[in-house]
Formats: sequence, structure tokens, C-alpha cells
Amino acid sequence: MLLCDFHIHTKYSDGSLELRKVIDLYGQAGFDVIAITDHVVNGDSMIGKLAYKFEMTITEKNFYEYLQNIQDEAQRAWDKYQMLVIAGVEISKNYLSSEKSAHILIIDIKEFISACESYEHIFLEAKRQNALVVACHPHQMKGEIRNTLYLWRNREKYAKYIDAWEIANRDDVFNVVSLKKYPYIANSDFHKPRHLYSWKTLLNCEKNISAVKNCIKHNKGVAITLFRG
Amino acid sequence: METFYIFTIIAFLGIVGYGFQIWAVRSKIGERNDNKEYYPPISILKPLKGIDDDLFDNLESFCTQDYPEYEVILALQDYNDPAYRTARKIADKYPEKVKLLVEKCQIGLNPKVNNLIPAYQESRYDIVLISDSNVMVEKNYIREIVKHLSDENVGLVTNIIRGTGSLSLGAKLENLHLNTFIISSVCFLDKFLKMPCVIGKSMLMRKKDIEAIGGLEAFKDFLAEDYVIGYNMHKSGKKVVLSSYTIDNVNEYWDIKKFLNRHTRWGKLRWKIGGGKYLSEMLGNPVFMSVISLLLNLSWFTFFFALWVSSVKIFCDIYLGKIIKTEMNKRVYLLSPFKDIIIGILWFVPLLSSTVVWRGNRYKIGKNSLLLPYEYSGILTWRYRIISAIKERFA
Repeated sequence: MLLCDFHIHTKYSDGSLELRKVIDLYGQAGFDVIAITDHVVNGDSMIGKLAYKFEMTITEKNFYEYLQNIQDEAQRAWDKYQMLVIAGVEISKNYLSSEKSAHILIIDIKEFISACESYEHIFLEAKRQNALVVACHPHQMKGEIRNTLYLWRNREKYAKYIDAWEIANRDDVFNVVSLKKYPYIANSDFHKPRHLYSWKTLLNCEKNISAVKNCIKHNKGVAITLFRG
Repeated sequence: METFYIFTIIAFLGIVGYGFQIWAVRSKIGERNDNKEYYPPISILKPLKGIDDDLFDNLESFCTQDYPEYEVILALQDYNDPAYRTARKIADKYPEKVKLLVEKCQIGLNPKVNNLIPAYQESRYDIVLISDSNVMVEKNYIREIVKHLSDENVGLVTNIIRGTGSLSLGAKLENLHLNTFIISSVCFLDKFLKMPCVIGKSMLMRKKDIEAIGGLEAFKDFLAEDYVIGYNMHKSGKKVVLSSYTIDNVNEYWDIKKFLNRHTRWGKLRWKIGGGKYLSEMLGNPVFMSVISLLLNLSWFTFFFALWVSSVKIFCDIYLGKIIKTEMNKRVYLLSPFKDIIIGILWFVPLLSSTVVWRGNRYKIGKNSLLLPYEYSGILTWRYRIISAIKERFA
């Protein structure tokens, strides 16, 4: 089975390591598939404005440079580690209220999607690009003041657009995803090297982007594992 | 004489002693290996447990050696070990050289020896190289160190290590300590005291010599199996050689806790092995001594003396770094006095506790680092239960 992590941040947003270092950290640890998913933050809220001020977000301006760098690194990762690297973003709709906030992974993104757009627009645009849509940390996280509960609260409306839900994020496990029988994956939400040791996804499929996306979408041959040091 | 003067004098002597240690390193690095070319087939045994920094590159550096005939055995205790996937990838990439061995062995209390025993039994050749997974080497490594074994009197070849990586604060402190205190102490013991000081990160031996000292099984319950192997080899009449070939110990993302844990454990080992000699370590920490002198007598004299000692120590460390060709940024050396103070404080821990926690179990460390199961009896053992409860609470 392929050892995978689809939720990883670099210095392009609020991660602590450069893209190249992140690739090496995962490659050296023997991972098979990873997705780099830096934040694209909504600029229409106070939190979002701060993210823009401190350059902790991917913008329309640097998006293609970001994509190009991931592609270059993906080639290096494949040649050296036989590790598949997929470009993605984490659309981050941040508000003061946890009930209004939501984070969405768009995996295998090709064109920029703004976080200020409506949820429907974001989902449809992701579908148009044949990208994978994952709801991140959809429920209460331990020790977290600001949660991202909007998608879970409105799951009846949005579940049809979402290819998978994070059933585990770093150290948190969201049992509710299992109870609702939603398709699932588990990720580290990597920001620092120590986050390498956290929940991960195992996929039973070929090591190529389309097989990985299909496996997650159909949620067959998917398992989660706690990767420990 | 006032007490602070004693510490001031000790600190001064510590600086002088450090000069001798640097001399020992210089002399060791400059040593030429004039032994004749010798290419016997070799089995490299790699006990793996968890992900070390740059594990893939470390393992690969052993698979691309410029050496005619050798095998690499990657040994793990179970398939769930995070290192398994990296080991698998390396084994797939170099199938002709690498053998991946996953075998549970719980013969003793030392997990590294438990890991090594199946690999040793599986190895094909008469010469084995035991090498840790956090070590990276150049292509000529085996070719250089094996020359020493052309002398039949040599029973064990070990290497000096140099810390590299240093991306986090913990890793910076660790590498700083390896590249100053550890390397200089090892070379000093080798040059001036002729004491075998074996570092488990690289041990090259003949199987017949290992068997002569009881085989690996004889060391299954020792925490410092490397030291005890070296000691027994020396006692058996075979020479223990410290090669001048420097190998890299990669430490990139260590946190402070890992640094503190390792040096508390190593301190306990040295206390149990060295006994009274352990006291001399404190005398060899001039920065800490000068700080004690300052604390005992807050004056301009002791303040400037502590400042002078720290500055001299920093310059000496930078010079030592130059000798061993470390890639460490010079600014990192500013942490050197801070590191020495931490090490000075940790020095006291072994005097208060002689137990270690390993894989969730507590062991008592006996003479020469022999591990004994710890029995929770007696009123004093409650302190460990309280500490565990506090740790659990905070986790």
C-alpha cells in the first residue's frame, strides 16, 4: 500500500520549511505520495487581511510560480525517491466564528481559485479542473480555539461536492466522519518537522495521480495509519 | 582561600586542558593510514529503528561504496517500524547489495543488540561492520578503514564522528557537542591515555574476534554495548584502533528534549562506567566552572573572567570545527557557552538517578552499563510514578 499525506504546508504560506526541505523530509522517510497544499486565504476578513500582510498565503500573483516549483520538485522527488508529489492548495475561509470558517483541500489544482468566492463556485471550479476536493479538519479539534466547522454544519448541502473528508488530522480523529460513512483520508496538516509523526493515509492503488484520485474518490482500498517515530 | 578562587583556577586549567584536547584532535586527523591495501569481503549490519534525519541518503551512502565485495543488511524488528518503507526502497534500488531483514528478536534488554543478532547470523562474510542508521559516509569509507584489519593484531576499528545538519536548535546543540566535547574527549583518551573509546556508530570487526569475546549475545544487556565490546576486545589482547577517517552523524531536526534526553542517558553511562573518572568531566567544562565562580562571588573580576572563558572557548570550538572541516555556521558557536552550561547542569543528574526509561520500560543501570529490570518497590520509587503521572497529564 502507498503511504500518503495530502495536507502539507511550506514556507509559501505558514509552514516552517522550504518546499525543497519538505520534499526531502518526506522522501527520506520513505513516503510514496504527498500533496503540497499551501493556504489560499480569503482576503475579506480581518484574519485573511493579516495573512496577506505577512505573506502567509498563496496569491493569484505567485500561484503559477508556486505550481512550477512544485512541478520541478516533483520531478526531483520522483527521480530520487520514487515519490509522487501533487500540487494542491488549502482554500482557507477564516472568520472569527468557527461556525463560519472552513478549510478545503484542492488536490491536483491547475488554475488559481480565490478563497473569496462562494463555496459552490469553489467546488465547481475544482471539479472543472478535475481536482480532488477534501474537507479538512471538519470537526472540533482538541486544544484548538478556532475550529473550521462550516462544512460539517452544512454537510447536507455540500457533501455532494466533497470527494473525501479528513477523518484524522495530525493527532485528532473525527469519529463523526465514520458514523456518517463519508469517504475519508487522514493527513498530518504538516507545518513543522515533528508533524511528520501523525495520522496518514494508506492507498491500495498504482502510484500515479489519476489512480490516487480515483482511489480516494471511490474510497476503496483506503486505510489510515498512525505514523510514529 | 575563598571558594570561588578554586572554581576560577579549575576553569583556567579547564581551558588549558581543552588546548591539549584540540591538539589530540589535530594529531588524530593528521594521521596517515599507511596500512597496505586490503579488500576482504565485508558484511555491513545496519540496525534500524524509526526515522533518522536523512535516512534514505544515509543508507544509500553505504550502497554506493567504492569497494569490490560487500553486502548491506538492513535489520528491523517489525514491519510497522517507520524505517521499513525507506529500507524497502533502498533494498529495491540496490537489490544486488542490500538484504532487508525483518525479524523479532528479544533475547536481551538492549534493542540495538536484539536487532543486530539476526543480521549477524544472516551475514555471509567473515568481517562485519556495525553501523548506525544516522551515519553518512563517503565512497572511500570502507576502503580506508578496512586497511587497519590487514594487521592481524587489530580487533576493532572505530571512527571519529562529526555532527552535521543543524537545522533546529536541538540539532545545533547536539552537533556543537559532538564537534567539541565528544570528539575532543575521544581523541584525548586515545592519544594521551591510550584508552579504547569505541563509538557504536562505526565498528569494524572480524567474526572470529567477536566470537572470542563471547559473541554479540554477551552484550545483549548492556546499555553501552559499544564501549563494553571495545573494552573486552582490548582485554582479549586485540588492538582497538580509532581511525582518523571522520564519518558524519546527521542531526537536522532534533528538538531540545531529544538533546537533553540523550546527554542525560550518556552521562549516566559514563558515571556507571567511569565511576570517579566521571568527576573529571566537570573539571573539563571551564565555562560552567567560571559561571559557578561568578555565582559564588558576584564581582567584576568573576564576570569578566566568565566572559573571557566563554570567548576563549568559542574561539577554540571554531578552531576545532575548522580542523574537522565541519560545515557548521560560525554563528552557531555563539551557543557554545549556553550548551556548556546545560551540559554542566545535566552532569548532576546521574548522581541523583541511575535509571533509564527505554521503550516505555524503566531499567536500572548497573556496573559497566548493565541493564537490570527496575522494581517499583520502596518509598523512593514513588518519585518516578509521580513524574510519569505529571508527564502523562501534560501530554
